[in-house]
Amino acid sequence: MSSPQSPPPTAPAAAPPAPRPVRVPVEAIDRSCRWPVLVLVVLAAGWLVVAGALAVLAAIKLHAPGMLAQHAWLTYGRVQPAAWNAFVFGFASLAGLAMALWMTARLSGAPLRGGGVIILGALVWHAGLKIGLLGILAGDATGLEGLELPPYASPLLLGGYLLMAPWALLTFARRVEAEAYVSQWHLIAALLVFPWVFAAAHLATNFLPLRGVLQAAAQAWYLQNLQVLWLGFLGLAAIFYFAPKLTGNPVPSRSLALFGFWVLTIFGSLAGQVRYAGGPFPAWMSSVAAAAGVLTLFGVYAVAVNGARLGRGAAGRFRESVVLRFIALAWLVFVGAGALAALNSLLGVRQLTQFTLVTPGLDYLWTQGVAGLALLGALYYLVPRLLGQGWPVAGLARAHFYLAATGILVLAAAFLVGGLAHGAALKDPQLGFILVVKRYLPFAATGTLAHLLWLGGALLFVLNLVLALVRCFQQAARPVWQAWWTPQPTGPQPAEVKP
Amino acid sequence: MKHGPLMFLGVLAAVLASWLVAVLAPHFQIGHEEPILIEELGINYPVDRPGEAKQGAEVYRAQGCQYCHTRQVRQEPLFADLTVTDLGTNAVETRRVVASLRRDLAGVDGRRLPEELPRPLLKHVSYAAAEAALRRLTNAGAQVELTLANLGPDIARGWGARRTVARDYLRDHPVMLGQVRFGPDLANLGARQTNEMRLYLKLYNARLELPGSTMPRYPYLFEERRLRPGQEPSPDALRGFGFEPPPGIEIVPRPEARQLVAYLLSLKADTLFYETYVPRPASAGAAAVTNGPAAAPPAPTPPPAQP
Ligand code: HEC
Repeated sequence: MSSPQSPPPTAPAAAPPAPRPVRVPVEAIDRSCRWPVLVLVVLAAGWLVVAGALAVLAAIKLHAPGMLAQHAWLTYGRVQPAAWNAFVFGFASLAGLAMALWMTARLSGAPLRGGGVIILGALVWHAGLKIGLLGILAGDATGLEGLELPPYASPLLLGGYLLMAPWALLTFARRVEAEAYVSQWHLIAALLVFPWVFAAAHLATNFLPLRGVLQAAAQAWYLQNLQVLWLGFLGLAAIFYFAPKLTGNPVPSRSLALFGFWVLTIFGSLAGQVRYAGGPFPAWMSSVAAAAGVLTLFGVYAVAVNGARLGRGAAGRFRESVVLRFIALAWLVFVGAGALAALNSLLGVRQLTQFTLVTPGLDYLWTQGVAGLALLGALYYLVPRLLGQGWPVAGLARAHFYLAATGILVLAAAFLVGGLAHGAALKDPQLGFILVVKRYLPFAATGTLAHLLWLGGALLFVLNLVLALVRCFQQAARPVWQAWWTPQPTGPQPAEVKP
Repeated sequence: MKHGPLMFLGVLAAVLASWLVAVLAPHFQIGHEEPILIEELGINYPVDRPGEAKQGAEVYRAQGCQYCHTRQVRQEPLFADLTVTDLGTNAVETRRVVASLRRDLAGVDGRRLPEELPRPLLKHVSYAAAEAALRRLTNAGAQVELTLANLGPDIARGWGARRTVARDYLRDHPVMLGQVRFGPDLANLGARQTNEMRLYLKLYNARLELPGSTMPRYPYLFEERRLRPGQEPSPDALRGFGFEPPPGIEIVPRPEARQLVAYLLSLKADTLFYETYVPRPASAGAAAVTNGPAAAPPAPTPPPAQP
């Protein structure tokens, strides 16, 4: 019955990054977050498993073309986008919102407002995503990777979002301290950027479509912003919040963090066209994106240096805290994926890696690696605070970490190395295409193993969460049951007990 | 950071700027492109697809073919070779031009040029330079041959006669460029694969033709019908290329399969116009055709090079 983290759940959080004078006690803040954030966490956990199962299915279908082939709704071209959408909009976005709401309240020293509306928003989003996913499986996907949600579903997500996210901004506006903390920059930026990127891209491709390849330009812009400014910044917010908290070290350089934040915002936002470098677009678009992509390296460098110094001398803490392990690995993946993405924007490199496994490989690193790992770490930290008690089986959390970590590393290795083999094969016109398939297939098939490991971890997380909720429910219900079963000693009680 | 609002205005400004640069600027540049009239062929390129093929685009989208197939042909920055085949009647003038093109060969007067010009005269120069030289030499009366020095793997594979450009996609919505080549590029499938039955069989079971293929099966695009004894299978039932349906059964494409194949046959991006300045050298398509016996792409119009 021990919590996997070092500080006991109900104790006030260890050394917040900066002293804060007048603030609501953390217990009160956690209580204000309990219901809305728990609803988000439960929905996110469900999507995590759905996304994992769909990803396993898609990965198998990539090398077993006859499997379940008679079902149109399970064809590769539908299961693959369904898995991506379930992960990004189901798990990552909902868990990200859960963390954003809770973390803003904690960092602002103000209780979270808007509980009921947030729950309503979460349900609207959830329903929209469900409809959208069924639409994708039914063949209604829009046809643009990343923007598949059909036009009858995407507005629901946006509507749900607009019911949830403003409460984080309102809470932030009532913060105790004027000076915002590093995590808050990333959170607020992410929260502001997401709706605008999502709406603009769906408008430009579905509702008021631009002509021809401009749709693909909007799509590339959207995917880049979604990966860096939404998923990436949610990950960075978690990294800069939990790493100082759990290692006990303050963020080494605030100005370096600020520098990194701006570099990633400005250049990270602009590098999308790397996806279609050399494609049927005006040539300057590839050049601008390549330059921006290389410049993001400075932002990655800032995160790398700050993170490395944060972890110094904290080796012991890694052993105690699963949260810290998730966070540290997310940081490592951020630095690795960021550096590789910058390298990949060089036109010479891109000529080799384009159209190969490297493209989905890097996408997986951003979605599952950075956002997925960081947000899992965040959930492992915040759920016990909301429930007021630790995780039922700490060992499950540890096992989850190892499964998720191996899954990500196997996937990265297979897709990046396999991508080079794939690229080299595509570059050789003497090689018949079926031989190209033979070159990349073993690596693509390894993806199945990676997704299975990830799914196994996800199941452990859900099991742990269900156990925690059941136990909580039992404890909450016990007094009620007892009061119900034992005959009442005195006369009827007044309905309203306490003022 | 005490200036919260200012900072968040900054973030929004940054994202707005990237939208302006990455989406709106190209929109102002190429967003008003219209199909162009190509007089030699009497068509407005890109050609509007026939109705069945248009429905096929929806089938293609709904099955998610673009998750494995790209539809964009790449061309590395282009290099060309230039060979003088005949000096023409005004040899003095031609030699003067040659000398100014190849200063290493002789002084500017061109009198000390070797009798035999090197072949090619210009090797692996940028395409624009080769074209400029070609113009000067033909103006001087020489006969010149321009050949492409590099085609890039896509064109060498026979995936197209030239790179694809923005105008090729003017009539597509959604545009399905694709990002991964788990399967071959399909931008010019209709130019290299004209046999409907092969395409039906590829969709029904790609392993019939290529045993190791990972192209998914799409049996639900076909209908299995039982044949009465003595009944002939209908003319469009799957057969041939080594495929024999089980006895007493015929397998007939459903309307979706017909539409999809009509669409696949309409996939062509090989018409030449000024944006696709790449001339088609005689040897391009023949280099290495790797995906089955492809028909040679139809000869496109010659480049509008010589004035
Ligand atoms: C899982 C990935 C995948 C999906 C999805 C997929 N394909 Fe393929 N496709 C392949 C592979 C691999 C090959 C190469 C092997 C072969 O020719 O069988 C191929 C080959 C082809 C070819 C032959 C190309 C040539 O150059 O001869 C055609 C045509 C084709 N696919 C059409 C489609 C259509 C239409 C769809 C959607 C209904 C589709 N594919 C979906 C993987 C895929």
